[in-house]
Amino acid sequence: MEFFATNLLNGLSFGMVLFLIASGLSIIIGVMGIINLSHGALYMFGAYVGWTVAKQYGLNFWFAVLSGALAAGLVGLFIERGFLRRLYKQMNEQVLLTFGFVYIITNICLWVWGGVAKVPFWDPALSGSFDLAGLLYPKTRIIVICIGVVLAVFLWWLQDKTRVGAIVRAGMDDKEMVTALGINMGRVSMLIFFLAAFIAGFAGVVGAQLWGVYTYQGLQTLLFALIIIIVGGIGSIQGALTGALLIGVIDAFGKALFPDLAMFTMYIVMIVILIVKPSGLLGRKVQ
Amino acid sequence: MEKDRIQRIGRLPNEVERVSHLTSRILLGRFGPLIIAVILLLTLPPFVPMDIRLMMAKFLIFAIFAMGFNLVFGYLGLLSLGHGVYFGAGGYTVALLQYHLHIDSFWIAMPLAILVPVVLAALLGPIVLRSTGMYFLLLTFAIGELFYSISWQARFMSVIGVGGERGVRGIPSVIYPDLNIPGLALDTTSFYYFILVGFVICYILLYRITNSPFGHALVGIREGEPRMQALGFNTWRYKYIALIISAAFSGVAGAMFAWHNTIIDPSHFAVGTSFLPMVMSIIGGSKVLFGPVIGAVIVIFVEYFASIHMRLRWPLILGSIFVVAVMFARAGVGVYLERLWKKVGVRYGNTKS
Repeated sequence: MEFFATNLLNGLSFGMVLFLIASGLSIIIGVMGIINLSHGALYMFGAYVGWTVAKQYGLNFWFAVLSGALAAGLVGLFIERGFLRRLYKQMNEQVLLTFGFVYIITNICLWVWGGVAKVPFWDPALSGSFDLAGLLYPKTRIIVICIGVVLAVFLWWLQDKTRVGAIVRAGMDDKEMVTALGINMGRVSMLIFFLAAFIAGFAGVVGAQLWGVYTYQGLQTLLFALIIIIVGGIGSIQGALTGALLIGVIDAFGKALFPDLAMFTMYIVMIVILIVKPSGLLGRKVQ
Repeated sequence: MEKDRIQRIGRLPNEVERVSHLTSRILLGRFGPLIIAVILLLTLPPFVPMDIRLMMAKFLIFAIFAMGFNLVFGYLGLLSLGHGVYFGAGGYTVALLQYHLHIDSFWIAMPLAILVPVVLAALLGPIVLRSTGMYFLLLTFAIGELFYSISWQARFMSVIGVGGERGVRGIPSVIYPDLNIPGLALDTTSFYYFILVGFVICYILLYRITNSPFGHALVGIREGEPRMQALGFNTWRYKYIALIISAAFSGVAGAMFAWHNTIIDPSHFAVGTSFLPMVMSIIGGSKVLFGPVIGAVIVIFVEYFASIHMRLRWPLILGSIFVVAVMFARAGVGVYLERLWKKVGVRYGNTKS
């Protein structure tokens, strides 16, 4: 029972960070039809900035989260305004461009912060362990899960209950029509891209509490996010959440039960899902 | 043509003029760049320093890889981010044969280095070709990373504990193949010519393929798959076969790369490797056969100079190349060069271009 509970919680906390990463990417792909491969690099950049703020300057943890998120968001905005805006509907070029930014951001991070991995930097007030009906569990992971839940609810509300969300959902189905109704899709795209990058940076600082920060994270995180999008389906918060929690929990149990195969469990899930339901569990049709 | 010219000039050109005129016409004509390139590739290597010779070999290898990739990317219009799988498979086949079975004969290694990627493509094809566009891209990306993980984990695919405290993954100290020709052991110069021969064979094969009805059918599928289906083409089979052919060329390049690089490691399966032929194709121009070759020249030369002057900043430069290529050279440098060449031809007296 304890084994089960521990791994479930591990999986959920892992899955929640994955959800934070994947939700932004999923919306970008769904709304704008842009494959942003630099999403993982933005995550990493946010984490590095957060680390600097928290460790170098010794500031409050929540301030670090905010500044990491803002930094990633601004870089994302720069990429969108400066480059991606001109590559509308050109998938190959978008892929190449954003992968170029993976190299650029990764190398700059290596330049600035060096190759040594940074360890988690949790606020002492929030560390320690939590007594869950006899099960001692690290407080950090519980808080990560809570953050994930809060953000999931917020994003779901944004997507399903607000005017912005309605525009975004309409834009996924028929962009031309939405433009014809007098909505400036360019500005909506910019906002969405900023928001997605912001959440990626946010996830970076939060995720750094579980894994720390290192320079290969950009690609690794991207891979996680892509697998989750494939599994959960593109273009909805619910899809990203389902995929992320599924992958997170399966990965945690895979690591505990079959350590030799730990690296492959995600891929196996992905391939099975693809064969059974190619558009993902909760996928919506993307043109 | 010649008469016109004589009339225009008003006198018979003497022998020297005639010869020089003929040379300039050949060199500035349609096949001029090709002839110049062939002459350079044939004569230059013995006279340049070894590292430049090796760089030229590397560029030929990546040109083969990029051309093979471009069959699927440029002609068929499918963006695969998993071609590193076939490249790595070719390389690992050669390296593992040498490491485990001590077979370094070219005549065994090369057919196997083609066969293994072909089999892989034949197995993966039905999975990846279920999807198109964005899903195809994501799926091939993930499969590339899957192979990266496998080659990282599998015991027989790495020599653990060679150098470095974490151990080097992959197979180091791959040696040049044995061609089984008495009295010929490959050194860097003869290895270069060996690669050049391979490159020429691959180029001719791909030229034949892309100019065949099959190649035109691929372009037709790129431009409008439903239309090709309506015309009675089994488009799925065309895509499948194109993927397999492309994998075969990637395998050839991978095997050559293993010999060239002397070490093959998991990263050669991964997305970083898969992106190289793509950037080469886009820089050079993906709609023409020689486009990826020009892209390979540019990328490998820049890499060479970067490796001398700022090794640590190479990823930054490579990323910038990606960005510049996308923003400013989307049609491909190859196309610009072709246009420039026509202008030069017109300017210097070659009216027929």
